[in-house]
Amino acid sequence: MHSDEEIMSEALVRIFENVVLTEEKSLQAGYFSNLSIAEMHTLTAIGPYEARTMTTTAEDLGITTGTLTVAIDRLVRKGYVIRKRDTRDKRVVRISLTRSGKLACRMNSKFHRVLAKHILGGYGAEDREHLLCLVNEVDKYIEQQLRRYDDTENVRKTAMDVAYDSRKETIDNG
Amino acid sequence: MDDADGRTAPRERKEDRRREKIFDDVIRIISNALEISPTEIKSDIDFNSEFTFDSLQLYEFVIDLEEAYNVRISDEDLDNVRNIDDIVDLICNLTNKD
Repeated sequence: MHSDEEIMSEALVRIFENVVLTEEKSLQAGYFSNLSIAEMHTLTAIGPYEARTMTTTAEDLGITTGTLTVAIDRLVRKGYVIRKRDTRDKRVVRISLTRSGKLACRMNSKFHRVLAKHILGGYGAEDREHLLCLVNEVDKYIEQQLRRYDDTENVRKTAMDVAYDSRKETIDNG
Repeated sequence: MDDADGRTAPRERKEDRRREKIFDDVIRIISNALEISPTEIKSDIDFNSEFTFDSLQLYEFVIDLEEAYNVRISDEDLDNVRNIDDIVDLICNLTNKD
């Protein structure tokens, strides 16, 4: 018999992997089969409306501007992104989506929305509210853990802190 | 609102004209997207059952409307759209907020 922790941990990993896999398969089978998942996420980070700077987009994606530049080069070649220099400050590069980019972005957000709609569809109002509350808590906790690793110089210290906290929780819980 | 002589107030006439223009634009965009004659499109046609929009065509239509009216149409907004009158109302409301 599996412990609660084992069930939770396996489900978390499986959900993450299967969402990405399903997204990837739906991309390959759909209108935007020349886009990878990473490229689709880059389009989503840019968004279908105002042009964004390379720096803020790279920050949102958690990658360096150098890595983003390579990705944007490819997306410009594929016709999904437009890159322009800011008219007032020539040092700033602004990126926005082409019509195809906007379509891909909206179709992808629809994919996620349909997934969520079907998951929630099986529950009544009260259970829905409870489920959303729990999912929100899990989301917040994982986000909090991620922030501890934000400063890469502190990775070793953070890893030690996490190990210490986990040991302490185990001891506290008897 | 009509006045004592049964005439429509100027402000309402302006609103009616604006709505008519939005209606014509919506018909034109749909007719282009589906490559059908504008006369084949009626205002109370059910958006979900009588149109042959697939998801991609639907978003092409939405992007055309967003660009034409400089508005943002969310998926939540689209959930409440049943026919052309609904989409015209939505554009009227979104442009009124500006």
